[in-house]
Amino acid sequence: MSKENGIKGGLKQVLGGDLRQFVMVGAVIVALIIFQILNNGRMITSSNFQNIISGNAYVFTLSIGMVMVIILGQIDLSVGSVAGFVGMTVAITASEYGWPWWVATLGGLGIGALIGAWQGFWLSKMGIPGFISTLAGMMIFRGGVIWMSHSISRPAPEELSWFGAGSLPEWGPNTGLNNSTLLLGVIAIAAVVFMQLRKWKRLATAESKPPLWPVIVRLVVIVGVIGYLTYLFGSGNIGTSFPVPGLIVGFLVVIYHIITQHTRFGRHIYAVGGNKAAAALTGVNVSRTYFLAMFNMSILAAVAGIMFIGRSTAAGPSDGNSWELDAIAAVFIGGAAVSGGIGTVVATIVGGLFMAVLNNGLMLYGVSADQTQVIKGLVLLAAVAVDVLNKQQGRPSIFSRLSRKKAAPAEIPQEQIATESAA
Amino acid sequence: MKNNKRIIAVAAAFALAVPLALTGCSGDRGSGGGDTGSGFPADATVGVALPWLGTQNWAEANDMFAEQLAEAGFKPLVQQADNKVPQQQSQIEAMIEQGASVIVVGPVDGSQLGTQLEKAKEKGILIIGYDRLLENTTGVDAVVQYGSIRTGELQGQSLLEGLKELKGDGPYNIELFAGGPADPNAPNFFTGAMSVLQPKIDDGTLVVVSGQTTFEQAATLDWDNSKAQARMDTLLSGFYSDKQIDGVLSPNDGIARAILTACAQAGQDQPVVDGLDAENESIVSIWEGHQYSTTAKPTDKLVAKTIELIQAAQKGEALPEPTSSTNNGKIDVPLYELDPVIVTKANIKEVFADDPSRLELLK
Repeated sequence: MSKENGIKGGLKQVLGGDLRQFVMVGAVIVALIIFQILNNGRMITSSNFQNIISGNAYVFTLSIGMVMVIILGQIDLSVGSVAGFVGMTVAITASEYGWPWWVATLGGLGIGALIGAWQGFWLSKMGIPGFISTLAGMMIFRGGVIWMSHSISRPAPEELSWFGAGSLPEWGPNTGLNNSTLLLGVIAIAAVVFMQLRKWKRLATAESKPPLWPVIVRLVVIVGVIGYLTYLFGSGNIGTSFPVPGLIVGFLVVIYHIITQHTRFGRHIYAVGGNKAAAALTGVNVSRTYFLAMFNMSILAAVAGIMFIGRSTAAGPSDGNSWELDAIAAVFIGGAAVSGGIGTVVATIVGGLFMAVLNNGLMLYGVSADQTQVIKGLVLLAAVAVDVLNKQQGRPSIFSRLSRKKAAPAEIPQEQIATESAA
Repeated sequence: MKNNKRIIAVAAAFALAVPLALTGCSGDRGSGGGDTGSGFPADATVGVALPWLGTQNWAEANDMFAEQLAEAGFKPLVQQADNKVPQQQSQIEAMIEQGASVIVVGPVDGSQLGTQLEKAKEKGILIIGYDRLLENTTGVDAVVQYGSIRTGELQGQSLLEGLKELKGDGPYNIELFAGGPADPNAPNFFTGAMSVLQPKIDDGTLVVVSGQTTFEQAATLDWDNSKAQARMDTLLSGFYSDKQIDGVLSPNDGIARAILTACAQAGQDQPVVDGLDAENESIVSIWEGHQYSTTAKPTDKLVAKTIELIQAAQKGEALPEPTSSTNNGKIDVPLYELDPVIVTKANIKEVFADDPSRLELLK
């Protein structure tokens, strides 16, 4: 790497290949700070952070499945209806048929899987585009919710409220924090440090070692952020902690990050989404990939629906209305491409988090619903526009265009830097 | 191998050091409980969580709360949830964060706010349901509303009176429409109206030609006027090609106007149609002799009653005696119910005598 690039080169080394993600995280942090000032310090508090996480856990969960479907170049418009349908099924079986809460919940997940198989069938075996087959699903399952509930809300099993809005237990010595949250923070930090160091070690060969300092700087920043979040979530009122729905989402993010980035199925998703014909020629089972992605989406929709009725203490006939749009917005703010082949689970969650912070901050500031909608629409458009400009071929990225003015003319082209740092 | 162990050791050291360093600087954690009763400051924050601004009555409530709470010396924080439950949940949480002493809730769905309302209750916040019941939660202190069954009864009566007045002697051909199935009031309106109409259907005075008499059949998804109009079109072409329709039970004004439009387009004589909410357009329609009646639930009275309760609580007094109470699934909730007013062309000027903006329409 070229040292003569000075600060910019150093920054690139610290950020590594994940430039985009760090920019997004930066945007979230900037938004938080702006709202913290506007709202006289009511934004960055433990209870508000707990609210943001448990209030948006269902969107995060949906968007994890949605990004995989969108990478495939498809879309699923039925997720809101499916979530509502499953939530209502769980509430009715528990409250009217007297099923124990866990049987009702497993039943709900089973229904989610059946619906997923149904959606997958129409896309993968019958070749009906996802937009249409899931538009049909959106109507079918919305109608189903209203039909079976007679439009009356049903109470959700009380045990579910732990999954939708609960806190982790308090235990052990008085550290001034919720010890469950503290433990989570410790585990997260250990995992990040371990993985970063292992990645660095893998790159190191006998002859050349990449410099260690960018890794250390990166670690200090990440560890600082996680440590601060641990403190923030852990120092709320006694009995509160990092919310359980947040933990569920965190767990899902780790699982699906691994699935999409480190398994064959994950590579197939990107291959099919990037170029379906080429993927088929190289032996990828396109139809199976479609099926699994849709199948998985509906199961995640079921999880989201169950978490939501837990938080709401009841299932209502309009649950899930337009949730698909929130999930889709998160995916595109996270940088996925409409044409498929591009996007990641982690970036999607950051995108969803950005929308959640924006929504929450505007709400705290007392901005009315109509104006909030306008602002969110503009932000969505701006985020995607920046991304599109960034990706246009043959043009330098915005990042490098901004810094190019000051840089020497003989600078290494942007493309080359990107490939080097990604290597 | 050796190197791997070193990495683990470094990782572990990092992991332990940072949070422990942070715990060192943390203060005491609160218990989250607040004091209840005994009043609150006269300039306290009052949160008002409304479902949306999409109909005139909610838009009016929005403005009236903002103005009148400010006049009463409180700090109003009025928000609208765009008819989305999760949005309203977050808004109530945000109001708790803002340190509100009172939260007035016009719920999108009254049974889905349990977690947030109980959280507010724990903090000693006074919670008043506005216009709709808050169900399935212990976090509610009072509900101020127009009796919804009573509203339905009045709608049914008004339809009968209109038929007698305008359509001569029976039997009358009628159709039934109900409101949005997700709104807990909608079935109550329908039940109230049917308690008046059913005996007349049974004795043959009223004939529901389509035979669609259950709430599910009559319901209008999301109170959507265009869906009501489409249903009316279908009913007219399916059942009324050789008949005249005399009257239609309508749950609100928007749907009433949609029904009248459908009838006019089908070449039917204008049927007797009731309504609800006294929207401006319907007031004009009644004045011009199209829509027969509407049911006014004056927003100002409801807002005034709500503010009266807030002021009593602010002084630390007990809330006034409720008109009745109802079980919401968890506890008995004190209800403060007001009676709606039927408005026809005959009494329209009296009803809106104090309402200059509506009087303006009657010219």
